[in-house]
Amino acid sequence: MLIEIGHFALVLALVFAILLIVIPALGLYQNRPVLAQLSKPLVWGQCFWITISFFVLMGAFLTNDFSVKYVAENSNTQLPILYKASAVWGAHEGSLLLWVFVLSLWSIAVSIFSKQIPSNLLNLILTVLGVVSFGFLLFLLYTSNPFERLMIPPLEGRELNPLLQDFGLAVHPPMLYMGYVGLSVPFAFVISALIRGKLDSSWLRWTRPWTLISWAFLTVGIILGSWWAYYELGWGGWWFWDPVENASFMPWLVATALIHSLSVSEKRGAFRQWTVLLAIGGFSLSLLGTFLVRSGVLTSVHAFATDPARGLFILIFLFIVIGGSLALYAWRYNLLQKNNPVSLFSRETGLLVNNILLVTAMLSVLLGTLYPLILDTLNLGKISVGVPYFNAVFIPIILPAILVMVIVPFMRWKKDNLKRIASHLRLYWLGILALIIVARIIITDNVYVLVAIGLFIWMLVHVMVLLISRIRSKSIFSLAFFGMLIAHLGIAVFVLGAAVTTQLGIEKDIKMSVGESQNIAGYDFVFNGVSRHEKNNYKGFKGDLTVLKNNKEVVRLYPEKRQYQTGMPMTEAAIDPSISRDLYVALGESLGGGAWSVRIYYKPLVRWIWLGGLMIALGALFAAIDRRYFLRIKS
Amino acid sequence: MIFSWQMILMIVLSSIFLSWFLYRPIRVNLSDEDSNIRINRQRQNELDSDMSLGLIEESYYQEAEDEIIGTLASELKSIESNNLEIKPLVWSLIIALFIAILSLSLYSQLAPKAMSNSLDKSIEPLSLSESIETLKDNLIENPQDFSTWKMLGMAQVAMGNLDDSIDSFENAFEINPDDIDLLLQYSSAIAANQEGQFLGKPQDLIEKALAIDPQSIQVLYFAGIVSAHQADLDLAKEYWQKALYLMPDSHPDRSVIEEALETILNLQVK
Repeated sequence: MLIEIGHFALVLALVFAILLIVIPALGLYQNRPVLAQLSKPLVWGQCFWITISFFVLMGAFLTNDFSVKYVAENSNTQLPILYKASAVWGAHEGSLLLWVFVLSLWSIAVSIFSKQIPSNLLNLILTVLGVVSFGFLLFLLYTSNPFERLMIPPLEGRELNPLLQDFGLAVHPPMLYMGYVGLSVPFAFVISALIRGKLDSSWLRWTRPWTLISWAFLTVGIILGSWWAYYELGWGGWWFWDPVENASFMPWLVATALIHSLSVSEKRGAFRQWTVLLAIGGFSLSLLGTFLVRSGVLTSVHAFATDPARGLFILIFLFIVIGGSLALYAWRYNLLQKNNPVSLFSRETGLLVNNILLVTAMLSVLLGTLYPLILDTLNLGKISVGVPYFNAVFIPIILPAILVMVIVPFMRWKKDNLKRIASHLRLYWLGILALIIVARIIITDNVYVLVAIGLFIWMLVHVMVLLISRIRSKSIFSLAFFGMLIAHLGIAVFVLGAAVTTQLGIEKDIKMSVGESQNIAGYDFVFNGVSRHEKNNYKGFKGDLTVLKNNKEVVRLYPEKRQYQTGMPMTEAAIDPSISRDLYVALGESLGGGAWSVRIYYKPLVRWIWLGGLMIALGALFAAIDRRYFLRIKS
Repeated sequence: MIFSWQMILMIVLSSIFLSWFLYRPIRVNLSDEDSNIRINRQRQNELDSDMSLGLIEESYYQEAEDEIIGTLASELKSIESNNLEIKPLVWSLIIALFIAILSLSLYSQLAPKAMSNSLDKSIEPLSLSESIETLKDNLIENPQDFSTWKMLGMAQVAMGNLDDSIDSFENAFEINPDDIDLLLQYSSAIAANQEGQFLGKPQDLIEKALAIDPQSIQVLYFAGIVSAHQADLDLAKEYWQKALYLMPDSHPDRSVIEEALETILNLQVK
């Protein structure tokens, strides 16, 4: 009966979504504040029922209730308890329930932390979020119901995909969804402002902190996914340009453009049309990502739905959202035209250039992701767009964006001149050039790495200079400013980590017999052999390698080769992590006579990639809690 | 359809919760005008701060200040309107009725009908022939229910009605042609109907299953049988050895495959 309560709670959540669309809208239209103010309780009630539903499903996993089809297909009695809990979102239906659960949490957050937003605007924002929630609840209940039952429950369930039997599943999807779904909040702000025809200071001011928070979550989600893939897939990569990865990266690029565009619109009242389009674009891309993953058009570890009906539903929803938003945009275009003038060389223009580069970079990723799918759909042949395309197209676009990022914080609002900037920065540039020459002599002659080192030093100097000048001016300490510095430095840390690990990393795929040793980057990897290994839900082999440096033991590594109940083989890499380098070993196949194939990687600065990502997210969070979003000024 | 007291309680709770806020509405935060005045004052302060930090040139300060004042002036042109009251009791009843009718009708559409039917009856297990009838009844209501077609086919095999079971499996196959379990059951039923021969359609179905999941133990076992029927003993051996490699030691079917493998090896020796 408990399962049916969870099911009914989901139905009630759908009913609350309908009420959320109808009643506050009626209240706003007829000027009846009591009805309009009902938006908050409706959001709370909806969240309550979705929470009940979510935890009932989790309970079904934890208690091995195989009468629920979704549980029977994705869990069994031997699965460790952590993976049973995270298996809730390990496949299509549950992950969609997580989607609506996260959306309801965002709605609650908006309703609680928006005391300074005018009530009429807030009620409409919650109504727009209700429309999004309605679409997804309908999708969930009618095409992807996680509470579907089996008439004859099996005694044992199937196995969760072994790739997903990992701590990464517990944290990566919720974080990513917080970011994905979070972009519905700036979208709701923009749509509400367009519906009301009041494109004033309020929505601009309050859209920014919500965009920053969702962007921070999206960053953490992407970073966690990259880290998970790195240690779980067993071949040491951290980004694969997989279409599903791209699906999360595209909204990230647009959201990055949006937070910068918002700062101009908010402060100087310029680029409002552009800001509105970016907010619509960000959420539309997160819906596009959902379509790509759920429709079955993609084949990857993420794409667990292969039902065309589901794809069609999301496609229709996508068209309604994008088409409706753009129609609204066209209708209100006159109101958006009023912009304060901007001169050609100013901070505003610098941020606009940065925006254009980010959006162009996003379009290059979009093209590389969709082009093979479109060709395939039209039966024009199969092509594969991979790393060479993205390296050749994406990097030349994003590099100038990073350079602009370094210069713009030194530029003035309204109008500036190149001469002032050049003279202001001349000394730093000379110093940075000198350091690059030193790096060329003592570290490497690899051009990509030298560029990354130069960029990193440049950014470090820029952060120090900005910080010192702010301290000297004795002005009020601003978290937004501090956040910007951390995030920009995070980009430089990321670029340095990515360039060094890609260019200077070493990879060896070798045959090793017991007692044999292999030297890589000054480390001796001694193969001690392989033993059998068994746990509840898998059995396999465990390798044993001793790593020595200058004949002193550094670490012992135990890579594994597992065979799960489904028969799916899995490679569990053994990693010795550190801030300067990772030593990474993956066990391959037995080659007979006690010999095994072993993959050994030396990954310098690989941790900097994720450290940079975390710094970006931290910077965004600092900016989101800046005092101006909490300041109360007596009117 | 079962509507339990818990569900009624959930509807009542929802209605009371919303009615509470109709009688005691949440206070309005602030008006658009107040909000815009506050924000533009903040913008003025931020402009002063930018000026002191050298982020805006002195000659443009006045222009930027004028822009803030102009923006605020345009935002304060609002239309005054009177708020209208509502009758909380009427709205409470409307909302309660709406929740009750809509949630129960949506749930009646979505709830597991087969399960509720079986719950209505006694807990006594059904006989195989009764099960077949129940499954057929369910299929009249849900002709596109893949699981029911598959189960009907399996029940008919158990009753020895091979022709009927093949028809049922064929219906299930049309709904979902990628279910491995179905492909194996279906091919076994056809093979049984053609005196144990896996040639023709059974072979195609096994090959399809193998293409979908080349690591499945059951599929490998059946693929071995198909190869053995075609006298390709090396291939049959390869499939079964792979199945044994993938199987846990405690797997109940291990002995069956080992026996089949032994037979093949004996044949090869001869």
